[in-house]
Amino acid sequence: MPIELIKLIPWIPLLGAALCGICCMKPAWRKAAGPISVLSIFIPFLITCGVYSAASGLQGDDKIQTIYQWMGVGNFTVNMGYYVDSLTMVMLFVITGIGSLIATYAMGYMKGERGYARFFMGVSLFIFAMTTLVMADNLVLIYLGWEGVGLCSYLLIGYYYDKPEAVAAAKKAFIVNRIGDLGFALGIFLTYKAYGSVSLHTVVDKAIEFLNDPNYTATTADLWIPFLLMLGAFGKSAQIPLYVWLPDAMAGPTPVSALVHAATMVTAGVYMIARLIPVFQLSPYALPTVAAVGGVTALFAGTIALCQYDLKKVFAYSTVSQLGYMFLGVGALSTFGGIFHLFTHAFFKALLFLTAGSVMHALAGQLDLRAMSGLRHKMPVTCWLMFAGCLALAGFPFTAGFFSKDTILAETLIVGMEGNGLFTLLALIGLLTAFLTAFYTFRLWFRVFMGPEHFEMGDDHGHGGDDSHDDHGHAHEPHEMPWWPMNAPLAVLAFGAIFGGLIFSGWMSGSIETSTANPIAIHAVDTHAQTDPGYSIIQVASDTSGHGSEADAAHGDEHHTLMGMDVHTAMMLISGFIALLGIGCAAYFHWLNRPLTDEIAKKFGVVVEVLYNKYYVDEFYDAVIVKPLRMLGHGFFLFDQFVINGLVITVGYLPRLVGWSVQPTQSGKMQGYGLGMVLGVAVAALLVFKWAF
Amino acid sequence: MHKAEIIEKVAGLWPEVFMLIGATVCLFIGLSKGKGPRRSTPWIAAVTLIIAAFMVGDNLGSETNALAGMAGYVKLAVAGIGLILLMVTAGVPNRLRQTIDAEAAKEFEPGDIMTGEFYAFFLLSLTGVMLTAGAGDLVWLFLALELTSLPTYVMVATSRDRVEAQESAVKYFFLGALSAAVFLYGFALIYGATGSTDFVEITAIVQQQMAEGGGRLPGLLLMGLTLSVVGVCFKIAAVPMHFYTADVYEGAATPVTAFLAFVPKTAGAVALILLLSLVGWPLPIEIESLIWIIAAVTMTLGNVLGLLQNNVKRVLAYSSIAHSGYILVGLLAGPAVNEAAGGALGNGIAAILFYLVAYGLGTIASFAVLGCLRADDREAQTYKHISGLHKKHPFLAAVMLLSVLSLVGLPPLVGFLGKVYLIGSAFSAGFTMLVIVLVLNSAISAAYYLRIASACYFGEPDDSVYSAGIFPRYAGALVAAVLAVVLGIIGNGLVNATRNATSATQTTAQTESLPAQAAANLRNINQ
Repeated sequence: MPIELIKLIPWIPLLGAALCGICCMKPAWRKAAGPISVLSIFIPFLITCGVYSAASGLQGDDKIQTIYQWMGVGNFTVNMGYYVDSLTMVMLFVITGIGSLIATYAMGYMKGERGYARFFMGVSLFIFAMTTLVMADNLVLIYLGWEGVGLCSYLLIGYYYDKPEAVAAAKKAFIVNRIGDLGFALGIFLTYKAYGSVSLHTVVDKAIEFLNDPNYTATTADLWIPFLLMLGAFGKSAQIPLYVWLPDAMAGPTPVSALVHAATMVTAGVYMIARLIPVFQLSPYALPTVAAVGGVTALFAGTIALCQYDLKKVFAYSTVSQLGYMFLGVGALSTFGGIFHLFTHAFFKALLFLTAGSVMHALAGQLDLRAMSGLRHKMPVTCWLMFAGCLALAGFPFTAGFFSKDTILAETLIVGMEGNGLFTLLALIGLLTAFLTAFYTFRLWFRVFMGPEHFEMGDDHGHGGDDSHDDHGHAHEPHEMPWWPMNAPLAVLAFGAIFGGLIFSGWMSGSIETSTANPIAIHAVDTHAQTDPGYSIIQVASDTSGHGSEADAAHGDEHHTLMGMDVHTAMMLISGFIALLGIGCAAYFHWLNRPLTDEIAKKFGVVVEVLYNKYYVDEFYDAVIVKPLRMLGHGFFLFDQFVINGLVITVGYLPRLVGWSVQPTQSGKMQGYGLGMVLGVAVAALLVFKWAF
Repeated sequence: MHKAEIIEKVAGLWPEVFMLIGATVCLFIGLSKGKGPRRSTPWIAAVTLIIAAFMVGDNLGSETNALAGMAGYVKLAVAGIGLILLMVTAGVPNRLRQTIDAEAAKEFEPGDIMTGEFYAFFLLSLTGVMLTAGAGDLVWLFLALELTSLPTYVMVATSRDRVEAQESAVKYFFLGALSAAVFLYGFALIYGATGSTDFVEITAIVQQQMAEGGGRLPGLLLMGLTLSVVGVCFKIAAVPMHFYTADVYEGAATPVTAFLAFVPKTAGAVALILLLSLVGWPLPIEIESLIWIIAAVTMTLGNVLGLLQNNVKRVLAYSSIAHSGYILVGLLAGPAVNEAAGGALGNGIAAILFYLVAYGLGTIASFAVLGCLRADDREAQTYKHISGLHKKHPFLAAVMLLSVLSLVGLPPLVGFLGKVYLIGSAFSAGFTMLVIVLVLNSAISAAYYLRIASACYFGEPDDSVYSAGIFPRYAGALVAAVLAVVLGIIGNGLVNATRNATSATQTTAQTESLPAQAAANLRNINQ
């Protein structure tokens, strides 16, 4: 397939969105929206597959596929152009592949909902924005996609616009993202200032050049750019302190949650940092900060997930936690680990959300863990599909999540063992989180599917009043989902969640190596780093570049061993054990001996309460940020109303006053006009005469 | 000038010659007895314009004038916008008497029928603009300017069978003659100071005189330039020659007003560029100060007077004065003030050329909307007439909205780009104060432009208003509005064309390559 076809990828979903929009017009057409949307995502997937071999062979300037010049002012040019390297291709596979599976599932899930066509319009638009984001060859175009996914998330989270909590969640997602976007925008401005360009290859190449130049000293801009960009990434990828929007984003339909959490949106931040990793390496504090925030977020969100009762909330916090892992990986210079985890996470998180959606669908909107138990007989397929997803999330040996999480932890530990204590600590936090992950994941699964059968239906009767639903008993009894279009895509996802790690590991590591995401410096941080915090990674880069060509961070350094084994192998054993331990504990506490659990929970009521209320972070933000801002807003409003307004009105009269004073010259009399003209000529001539002589 | 040179010069004028032929044909066919042939005159005019445009396109680059690039651009723009104007003016010559449709009269009354004449004058006036753009000689320039204006006097007088039209035509004619006397006097003084009427020779002599005079111009030349500039200000309706504008624009039939607001103004602006290129940029301080003052006063006066009006036609007339002030800002900046800024940001002349098109589209569309409406068998003119337009004619209201927003200069419309370029070039050239005046004036102008828009959308409909039902006029309004949007979005190509067109203004060494480059760009646009 010719490589030029890749230029079509973002535009097909956009066309799909437009067509879905047209479908909104007539009720008879609305049913067509689902298939249109699925096709508009699936065709780009086929294109991605088709051009893959051509795309991976691209060299140098061929990687830049320009459609047209978007804007040009002096030296500042921005092209509507795409940067195609293996990282782009990986992201495209995730977005279009997982995206089309989710859209297919949604065709069944959303059946009979009000606004069916509107929903699919949003989905297609989402894919347009996300593909633009990952394909863009410059930061401004990335920003377009970045804002695009923000907008689409707002539209889709607020899909049930008649529910106040959905509207509030949509606004929260949008506004919290704005804070991050502000940082991102400032980062782009500063990048342009520092590098003289916003195009990715120029910026990355220059950064690499700086990194390889031993005489280069980092400028202030170099130190600040990563932190500003990071803020954007933290907003979009839901990290501390901007993670609060993601759990609330559950208010949208479940496929939206899957889309936001798995295939699109939240991966944008990880992608952006991976893409610009040399820029981040220029600042000695940037990547450790990324790693620390990632690690802390992973643990923080993991503990919250322990005590949530809402099915989707548990998964939402697990997403935040898993994103923390990705940032930890990227921060430890293991972009391979970060992107690999992004890839596998897309499979199992989409699967988990969609199976949770199936449970919710079956129980008429019921999401409370306490209101369901032992559903395995009613929904066997869903039960085992979710089991596959849970295994992967828990990092059960040889599932997809196991390999990717492992890479991250091992790489972090290696950086730690090279003398950076922070990373050792983060690796330990990562291991603790791995245990928590396994525990809360299987807590949920055992609660829902094991134990005595018991369930309470939710209050969402009749799925939007769709009488033609094939199963009439669904309002009274939980039922299995039909294979097409719902369970079949899930089976594909389950396959990926279990075997994705084994199959794609080698391919992925090769893809990252050949992309700009491949880190330049060896991650070895000299012992100086501990004593002298100002010690720059740049220097490390120059120190170690003499060691030869062994600059491949993904394969670690031969010197480090743990328990007499290669760190990776050791880490696999440890984390595999931890995953099993977590699953075992979950089985004991939440399947076999539930009364004991309740007793323990009562004893530690305060802790549970704090965790259940998510450490009261929302309340904290409300009191510290939202309320004061609102007060300030009221103040400004009064000032505006009485001071500014009065001034403006006064000033507004000035032009009129001038107008009235000169109006008599427009008398309508020709003689007057002639006189005026002659006088004007005379005045002009006299003025020039006076100036000249 | 040698005979060979004259022949060479005329050889580059095929589009103009063709326009003249078209005008003559219109004139003759308009005298025919049968209705059919007479009705074909607008079509003949249209075909003439289209063919002339293609001839301009083919002829690009072969012109010998140093400003060949600019001439080609202006000619193409005039031919293109001329087509829109042709659509907008459709039906004007056919509506002479309020009660009698002249063409419907059973008897052939040559005295009543103006169709042929109207389109002949229409083409002749456009020919005048084209000739102005191609002028290389003071006499030529004078004749071309007058060829632009003379037909418009007749067009105004015959456009409506009302005494107001005749009154405004008489005012326009006498004041126009007065201004022609002023700038002709100026031309004579320039000739007196340099001993030549040829632009190339004058430029060379001026350079020599400046070198001798220590960078100062001789007083005679200075006075000649002053009178020329002030006189030509009549064409663009700038202070102190602006008095006629509102009265004449109000008196003429609305479609003819649209014509007046674009065609003579383009000719005037081009003439000013040519005149000032005789001394080159940066301008002599005296001329610069004069134009600075004229620009600032013109835009302010136009806008504050526009604020007070209740008659939309007069509002648009004053807005046209204000836009002349903006154009003068670009004239001050001159070409190539900042090559690095790129686009038209660093080139005031390119900015003017772009702005003329931007302004033309906006103002023609808004006049066309007014022209599409009638109130109680008279023209729709006041805010009352357009209020609530949205409810009865949503299409016209949308066009009006787009056109006024473009005139205000809101992105992504073409007026925004135009203003950005003007402001950018003036800023690069260091006219910071004037830029501030311009921006403040834009804010003032928003008050009346938005008043038009809000009347259209939020007012109560006036029952006496109905549509004139002339389809081509709707089409013209639509085309202008659509172009205002499209050019606003993809205006870059056009800008590069204008920029290349004017790169040659001063750097004669590059005249070999740049017009060719401009020609290539223009051809792309043409297609």
